[in-house]
Amino acid sequence: MKKERESFLRNFIEAFTKGDIFTKLSILIFGTGYVARGQYVKAVILQIVQVLFFVFTFGFSLNYMSKLGTLGTIQREEIFDPKTLSKVVNDYDNSLMILLCGVIGIIFIFLYILLSLSNVKACYELQCLKKDGKHINTFSEDLKDLFNHKFHITLLTLPSIGILLIKVIPILFMICIAFTNYDGDHQPPTYLFTWVGLENFKTLFTSTSTVTFGYAFVRILLWTLIWAFFATFSTFYGGVLLAKFINDKKTKFKKLWRSLFVITIAIPQFVTLLLVGKMFSDYGIINSICNKIGLVGFLQDIGLVSKGLSFIPFLSKPGWANVMVLLINLWVGIPFQMLSATGILMNIPEDQLESAKIDGATERQIFRKITMPYVLFITGPSLVTAFIANINNFNVIYLLTNDYVTTNMSYANSNAKEVDLLITWLFTLTNDYSNYKMACVIGICVFVISASLTLLTFTRMIAGNREEEFQ
Amino acid sequence: MKKKIISVLLSGMMAVGMMAGCGNAEKDNTQTGQDQTTGDEAGSGDQGTTQASSDDAIANLIAATTDPVELTLWCSETEGYQTVMAELVEEFKAQYPDVEFNITIGAESEANCKDDVLADVESAGDLFVFPDDQLLDLVNAGALQSVEATYTYDPTATNTPATVEAASIDGKLYAYPMTASNGYFLFYNKNYLSEEDVQSWDSLLAAAQAQGKTVGMEVSGAWFMYGFFAGAGLEMRLGDDGKNICNWNAEDTKFTGASVAQAITDICKNPAMKNCVNEDAQAFALNGEMIADVNGTWATNAFVEAYGDGYAAAKLPTFTVDGEQVQMGSFAGYKFLGVNAYSKNPGWAMLLAEFLTNEESQTKIALATGEGPSNIVAASSKEIAEAPALAALSEQAEFADLQRVGDNYWAPAATLGQSLVEGNYSDVQKLLDDAVAGITQ
Amino acid sequence: MKKVIRPVLRHLFLAFLAFVWLIPIVWLFVTSLSSYKGINTMHFFPDKWSIDNYVQLFTRPDTVANFPAWFKNSFIIGVFTCMISVVFVLMVSYAFSCMRFASRKKLMSFYIILDMFPGVLSMIAIYFVMKLLGLTNSIFGLIVIYSAGSGLGYLICKGFFDTIPLSLRESAKLEGASEYTIFTKIVIPLSKPMIVYTVINAFLAPWMDFVMARLMIRSKDPVNWTVAMGLFNLVQRTLVGDYFSVFCAGGIIVAIPISVLFLIMQRFYVEGITGGAVKG
Repeated sequence: MKKERESFLRNFIEAFTKGDIFTKLSILIFGTGYVARGQYVKAVILQIVQVLFFVFTFGFSLNYMSKLGTLGTIQREEIFDPKTLSKVVNDYDNSLMILLCGVIGIIFIFLYILLSLSNVKACYELQCLKKDGKHINTFSEDLKDLFNHKFHITLLTLPSIGILLIKVIPILFMICIAFTNYDGDHQPPTYLFTWVGLENFKTLFTSTSTVTFGYAFVRILLWTLIWAFFATFSTFYGGVLLAKFINDKKTKFKKLWRSLFVITIAIPQFVTLLLVGKMFSDYGIINSICNKIGLVGFLQDIGLVSKGLSFIPFLSKPGWANVMVLLINLWVGIPFQMLSATGILMNIPEDQLESAKIDGATERQIFRKITMPYVLFITGPSLVTAFIANINNFNVIYLLTNDYVTTNMSYANSNAKEVDLLITWLFTLTNDYSNYKMACVIGICVFVISASLTLLTFTRMIAGNREEEFQ
Repeated sequence: MKKKIISVLLSGMMAVGMMAGCGNAEKDNTQTGQDQTTGDEAGSGDQGTTQASSDDAIANLIAATTDPVELTLWCSETEGYQTVMAELVEEFKAQYPDVEFNITIGAESEANCKDDVLADVESAGDLFVFPDDQLLDLVNAGALQSVEATYTYDPTATNTPATVEAASIDGKLYAYPMTASNGYFLFYNKNYLSEEDVQSWDSLLAAAQAQGKTVGMEVSGAWFMYGFFAGAGLEMRLGDDGKNICNWNAEDTKFTGASVAQAITDICKNPAMKNCVNEDAQAFALNGEMIADVNGTWATNAFVEAYGDGYAAAKLPTFTVDGEQVQMGSFAGYKFLGVNAYSKNPGWAMLLAEFLTNEESQTKIALATGEGPSNIVAASSKEIAEAPALAALSEQAEFADLQRVGDNYWAPAATLGQSLVEGNYSDVQKLLDDAVAGITQ
Repeated sequence: MKKVIRPVLRHLFLAFLAFVWLIPIVWLFVTSLSSYKGINTMHFFPDKWSIDNYVQLFTRPDTVANFPAWFKNSFIIGVFTCMISVVFVLMVSYAFSCMRFASRKKLMSFYIILDMFPGVLSMIAIYFVMKLLGLTNSIFGLIVIYSAGSGLGYLICKGFFDTIPLSLRESAKLEGASEYTIFTKIVIPLSKPMIVYTVINAFLAPWMDFVMARLMIRSKDPVNWTVAMGLFNLVQRTLVGDYFSVFCAGGIIVAIPISVLFLIMQRFYVEGITGGAVKG
């Protein structure tokens, strides 16, 4: 990576030093290098891009970027005139807009520099071509190239703009927030927030009797990982087993069975989860039934339910709730896994199975020694994706434990609860308490965990030459 | 601290502004709300001049208005609210035939009002109805246009003082009081329970148990649980520094925190007692199992339907602490109509807010929604005052406190409530100490 | 003897599992046919049956529920999100899989890492970006949000493209085909399962997402909401007592377009997932 960057820069320096006046000038005025070689249309287009950039920067973003250091100093003030029922508001700073537009402005400058550097290089190449008396592309030839050798540029432009817009900009913005004091007491537009350095990260690892972020963070992180592990592997094994069971030769009406399970996917998750949450609530239908058949009493006798309760706290007590969300997640996840596993199982090389059978292997042995390794080999990478998705599994936890009240004061003091994942915790912090600074710190932690996990597993696949293996 | 400086600054500028804009009927606006404006009802000698200047101001506003006035009003999504608001808005439009209005009424769940407004103040409704517990957060975020002046009536004089106080912070009125019935009391079925039964938790639970029925209350809800501690004389409120003040763990008061906690646990230990939220309570009442429930006016219709001719309501019962009967306290609840500080038409928004909260409108809203008006005259009208739920509320009123609590109250208090309900703690004093530490952090 | 019992046991076991899986669905269905509007906590089946919930859903829009409008909005968003997402994913995947250009691998890693950032967190920032563009409060804005980032989900599709034999493309090139022609004439027709897979995922987004939509659509007029937003609103505390069975009816109706899509595409869906999973 480092090498590539170096060579990019070296190429540029070489192009710039060896370039003639037009090439050199093209770093200031984009179009010159093309005009000199007769590529007028291209020159005009690049010139327009450059002008647009300057209009954008000087007309819009510079104003915000200049205030990035303080994130604004003028607080909103208003004067109401009772005689005319109108009010005058001063020209106040909005920290949020300063940060957001500042980030956007910097990204654009960064892109501009990249463009101008590669522009010089392109102009130098043209210069060389002309010097050697080689053919210089006309505009329509350039266009054609965009659909052939440079097709990737055409392909990637629009999706990348989209990604820039709703991924890159927001992510950079949120990362910045982690270093500010944007919380309930500093809410724009009326009030300003400003940089506080690493203060919030310190808070995250502090544990005193009232500031309990450290206490809650470690425990919630642990539960998040436990959840992600069990949720991923339980649905995976459950799905494979179910698929195997249905696809077995001895099973009749395969399609019918499969459809019965697939029905559950068709109803949106939030509907089924809210519904199941209501079924298992303290006074819900399941508890009514358990009461009628005496299950509650039985559980009280063996000590699983405390005597003070007249119901089974499926989703309202730590322990109970943690196990229940995992079980309900099985209900949600197995049909999905069953579907994909069905496809994989159909592709298992028959000859391997046959030869194993001839060798006298039992069915269980075949499953353990052949089927499972094969399935794991194929779905290994998607298991990592599923693991990450489960770390960020907002819906299941949020919809099922909406009414959960913690009895542990240390959780309560940092607005967390025992069944929270990091992701639901940060949602509560932003949505209910406007505590954006802490939410962003937690978000960065989630990001670091997920990204390092992914990189560990995926770099091998991307970096190696495995992708050409099958081609 | 910062906010104080600003308010001083602002009032300074206001003063300058007013001097420049020649004498108005306004007095120094840093004084309490009562002093703010002399309204129509003031009845003093300068009434004529005030009226004249108000009319002038409105005339100025009309003259200055050339484009159609765009306003958005967010209020409760229930059918009753939406209908009556639509009617009132039409009446308002008719008052100003020369001005073209474009008023949209949005359906907003009041409980989420704060969250929705604060997500982006600039695109929130110009006016919104919100319960009083959200006032502090809204003011903290600068989302509310304070009531600097009034033109058609004086909310500080026509509404009950308690309501006005609830809508004010540091003596400054931030919203227009609309209803005063957002507190809680006891619904009961008089076919099963007598008026004597509902006087105390002991007799109430005994009667319910004897008949194999249940009584409900969301004891683990921080909002409801407050009533026990407040009733026993313990304190929980927001201090001047923005932190909560709480002595629920006190050991030197008449009733100690520990004995109140014990009393709560004792009540919850009764098999007839059910700690349950509103929606569960409604379901239980409907299937005949629950014959009394601590709840609020939002549940009135459900209980009327469930109890039929047995429907009745009363103030909260007394409970036993250290062998003595103590009247339960409660939070008094109000709903306000706030004007968005970022409204593009603050003048018209304020006039509309005044119109929607004046005596006549409050009466109409009360009749349409069953909620109790905050306007003194409207509240005392026969039709409204005799509704059992509202009568119970006004009975409870003298034991009810203004709800002025910081955000840090809710989570620790709910946790405390949940622990007390289950009664599985070992050291009650430590439990209370931890809760208080969390509440006052 | 054993030969008779084992198949019976096997099918009984499956039936039991299916029973467990279907309980909530059945409850959803019977509750949607209840004449009582709140949550029935005592009996599994309603006391009185009625189809009034469905009638209300379609013919009596009120101040909190306007199902026909929600359905229309979600459908429009779903269709457009589908189309854009499919195009984006195919484009990115082809570029990464079949083309070779400088910093390709860096870009691929960068995209994967970007996708790791918790979406719930960046919501508020996305909201303000959209506000800068003037796209809040509109269906178009939601389409942009659901589809603009779809290029990041290239991984599975790229894995699928990787399995398309290189010789196919090479021979086309020898015959003078441009990359564009190869993309449209050779690769896309081969990637039907991938298209189906992406279509299903993209189509589901607006039917499932209530968090982002609630933030983006600031309008308080039910006409402008999506199905997910509206239905979620119906089970909030103040409304659940009066609308729970209506909510259930809504859930059943929403399942119809999704089921239809599933039934049509089920075969491809299975192939799509596994085809890509071979290479991840």
